[in-house]
Amino acid sequence: MAKVSVANNVTRSNRKWIIGYSIAAFVLFITYQFLIPWDGLPSGIYQVVNRWMPPSAVNESLVYVIMALGLNIVVGYAGLLDLGYVAFWAIGGYCAGWFMSEFFYFLNIHFFGSVPAEAPGIHINFWMVLVIGGFVCALFGILIGAPTLRLKSDYLALVTLGFGEIIPQVFFNGENFFGFNISNGTRGIVRVDPIPVGVKDLGPFDFGWKLLIFLFLAAVMVFISLRLRRGRLGRAWLAIREDELAASMMGVPLMRTKLASYAVGAFAGGLGGVAFATHVDGVYAERFNFTISIFLLAMVVLGGMGNVWGVILGAFVLSWVNGTGLSAFSRVYNDSFGTKVDFASYTFLLFGLVLILMMLFKREGLLPESRLKLMLHEEDLDEKDASGSKRKVGK
Amino acid sequence: MANVLEAQNISVQFGGLLAVNNVTFNIPNKSIVSLIGPNGAGKTTFFNVLTGLYKPSAGKIIYGGKEITDLPPHKIAESGIARTFQNIRLFGLMSAQENLLVAMHSHLKSGITSTILRTPKQRKEESEAEAKAQEILDFAGVGKWTHEFARNLSYGDQRRLEVARALALNPKVLLLDEPTAGMNAQESQVFIDFINKLVSERDIAVMLIEHDMKVVMALSQRITVLDQGEKIAEGSPDEIRNNPRVIEAYLGKPKGARK
Amino acid sequence: MAKVADAKTFKGTPGQIRQQRIERAGALSLSIIAAVWMIANLVKAPEQFAQVAISGLRNGLIYALIALGYTLVYGIIELINFAHGDLFMLSAVFSSFFITYWMGADKSNGYGWFAFGLCLVVVMIFGAVINVLIERYAYRRLRHAPRLAPLITAVGMSFLLNFIGLKWNGSTPRQWPTVIPSGDIYIGEIRISMITIWLFLIGLPLLLGLNYLVTRTKQGKAMRATAQDRDASTLMGINVNKTIAFTFALGGAMAGAAGLLYQQSIGTTNYNLGFQLGLIAFTSAVLGGIGNLWGAVLGGLLIGLIQGLNDGLPIAFGQQWSQSVVFTILIIILVFKPAGLLGKTVTEKV
Repeated sequence: MAKVSVANNVTRSNRKWIIGYSIAAFVLFITYQFLIPWDGLPSGIYQVVNRWMPPSAVNESLVYVIMALGLNIVVGYAGLLDLGYVAFWAIGGYCAGWFMSEFFYFLNIHFFGSVPAEAPGIHINFWMVLVIGGFVCALFGILIGAPTLRLKSDYLALVTLGFGEIIPQVFFNGENFFGFNISNGTRGIVRVDPIPVGVKDLGPFDFGWKLLIFLFLAAVMVFISLRLRRGRLGRAWLAIREDELAASMMGVPLMRTKLASYAVGAFAGGLGGVAFATHVDGVYAERFNFTISIFLLAMVVLGGMGNVWGVILGAFVLSWVNGTGLSAFSRVYNDSFGTKVDFASYTFLLFGLVLILMMLFKREGLLPESRLKLMLHEEDLDEKDASGSKRKVGK
Repeated sequence: MANVLEAQNISVQFGGLLAVNNVTFNIPNKSIVSLIGPNGAGKTTFFNVLTGLYKPSAGKIIYGGKEITDLPPHKIAESGIARTFQNIRLFGLMSAQENLLVAMHSHLKSGITSTILRTPKQRKEESEAEAKAQEILDFAGVGKWTHEFARNLSYGDQRRLEVARALALNPKVLLLDEPTAGMNAQESQVFIDFINKLVSERDIAVMLIEHDMKVVMALSQRITVLDQGEKIAEGSPDEIRNNPRVIEAYLGKPKGARK
Repeated sequence: MAKVADAKTFKGTPGQIRQQRIERAGALSLSIIAAVWMIANLVKAPEQFAQVAISGLRNGLIYALIALGYTLVYGIIELINFAHGDLFMLSAVFSSFFITYWMGADKSNGYGWFAFGLCLVVVMIFGAVINVLIERYAYRRLRHAPRLAPLITAVGMSFLLNFIGLKWNGSTPRQWPTVIPSGDIYIGEIRISMITIWLFLIGLPLLLGLNYLVTRTKQGKAMRATAQDRDASTLMGINVNKTIAFTFALGGAMAGAAGLLYQQSIGTTNYNLGFQLGLIAFTSAVLGGIGNLWGAVLGGLLIGLIQGLNDGLPIAFGQQWSQSVVFTILIIILVFKPAGLLGKTVTEKV
């Protein structure tokens, strides 16, 4: 058995990550905002970058990163299998659509908005809408989580899946929801307000600056995740994940703690949903479906449930493959071999295999949290225990 | 002497099976009492009722003058009734220190915002909790394993850690479920000394379920015997040792009827 | 041995009694609402009511067959086999290719009925084999792993099968001719299609056959024993691996039959069929009482009926809310009465 010594570095002070992260973020930003559009850049490099990693793809991946970090809190920390996370994405998106567009054309409410005062609709400042979206989603996290509190893991998964179907369907049919138009149905809400950053307003094509903002949002979620894990709530979550009964007998209030994980996890969904709405400049109902929930789950599983950095890696890799990688690869392959294989349709195969193979062979993920590795291979260790070996500490 | 915990007329029914039948059991302050009986006598069921895991079909539990029968397990733990488990149920993937900190959950106050921001108050609370945890770990004899994963500890140390974790709840009553299972004579003696020291130094009462008669006789001020869900005897070790009903129900050799 | 109490007088702990009362009140109010709704529709459009009820029940039969697969597997290894719905979809695609392409039958004549009968046998074997293979290579290794692992694998498997369906069937729905005798009979104004009648004529024996297998045969007994206590069954000499494989085979066969029946009655295949119907079928299994075979049947028929009524009646949510209605039912049952209609609420001894 691998030497597992001192309880994992994640519980210790980790301020160094901010430095590393900032450097990476800075490099990424400089590259996309200044380097790539530079005239002096050899066109070959520009082509390659644009085909394999265009800025829009990076931004979209970051949205997935934010969501995956949220799901990581529910699935990775607290061990609750949530199969309906897309609901929060949708709610976040529609918060942006309601409070940052001309959707409510019959009203005229402006609050530090980024459009002229005559524009109809509700126009609240993007940064405030982020917070609003986050908290609205947190509230829904509690509402959705509440029925699941006493259920076993499979039933819990099903109930969350159910909500993950119902809520998007509500928006899909939202043109006539008991007489009210809450979502414009399948037409969607087109065009949301630009993001005000003091000196300018960022529209849908300001990829470079938006990159910074999305990186910042992801950093916020990383920060929240790491801090919470160090404190009593994170410990309570890990205890619940490992042994719910013992946790409750040690004074951990199960319901409240589980609801907290749903709430914090959903908050990320709100952030991501609002960010995504500005990314695609609108809110479109058919984008929200069950497969996204599974994609996010695959990202968390691939990266290593509970490990923030693994999840970021998993989210980046999988969303890139699904978004850009497959189609870019498809073009290259077909051009070279004169074939007409549609690789993009292989998404389901890819994600299905990821889930199956990871569970069969590397349950703890690519960058596992060392304790998770122990837990998921428990049955092997239990056999050793049963044979009577007294385990001494390896030092 | 005042009772810290009183269980009055407890009955527990599973479907048609009466596992515990009208048992009254009181734990006096700062005492060490034991609950013994043959396998299947209902001891663990009764034990689980005391800790709030099961709700009794009849009867009530009084703690500190208040009825706690309907409280959820975590509230019961919070109010000062701590327990260990027959099969060790430590959080194996958390360090020894973290195990104790989890038990302190209900006594810590920091909320989500203060944890995220690491306010001075939260930091102070955490370091005080860690210090207290270390103190308890030292007291229980596992002080050097502070940051070790609980799973890696030896069996004896795991048992000690479980007790330490229970003590982290700052309990008035400590309920131990077969604490010396798997221990040899020497380890059992260490355990006996530890419990005696615990009760003399702190304001705490201890209750054990045990099969090891030597430990029971050495530690207990009072022994209660269950058989087939009913209380058939209660008294001092000498009284129980010579009680014909007990001997009949439970052929316990005075020299230690070990599993 | 603890004393056996007077079982008749024991109602339950105060907490349990309260729970039962809540359940009863909830069930009563829901039933009243449902009854009022049905009566309102019945009064407003009686022929339409009968019409959609019949087609709803027909769908319900198919749901029941699929639900049996879910309930059998969950009963024995406590796993929600997410991939089961997609197995049904693959069976439907398989049946279409078998009958229309490989056997070349497209009319309701002697040859067509022969092709149908042959296909019924073959597709059931197909379903059984695939299911057994999935269990053997994906689920068996994870039998003792923490619950999260096999659940995630099942979801992944569902995606995999979905992909196969996409490649096999194509991304758009396809139409297929039917070889079951069609034509309608009329009771008053109500049209009952011969297909519906044939569906019941074929489905019922399948259900009875399954019931016989599970209750009267040695293998069936082994299944029920393993479902109750796997370790004890091993000690009694039951080959648990074989028994679980047998269970998967049965479930797969049911999915196969359902696929054929669906394809012949509805006449279309669509690679997304599995997901749509899978969750509906699972809801049926849960409604009836997971682990209970007749519960699955009852649940399937009920859900089919409710869905049909909702989609087709004037006073209802309408077809665009169909999924939500079913999922809401699922959530309500899981939260308030997870044992379902025919299941027993078991007090777990810790």
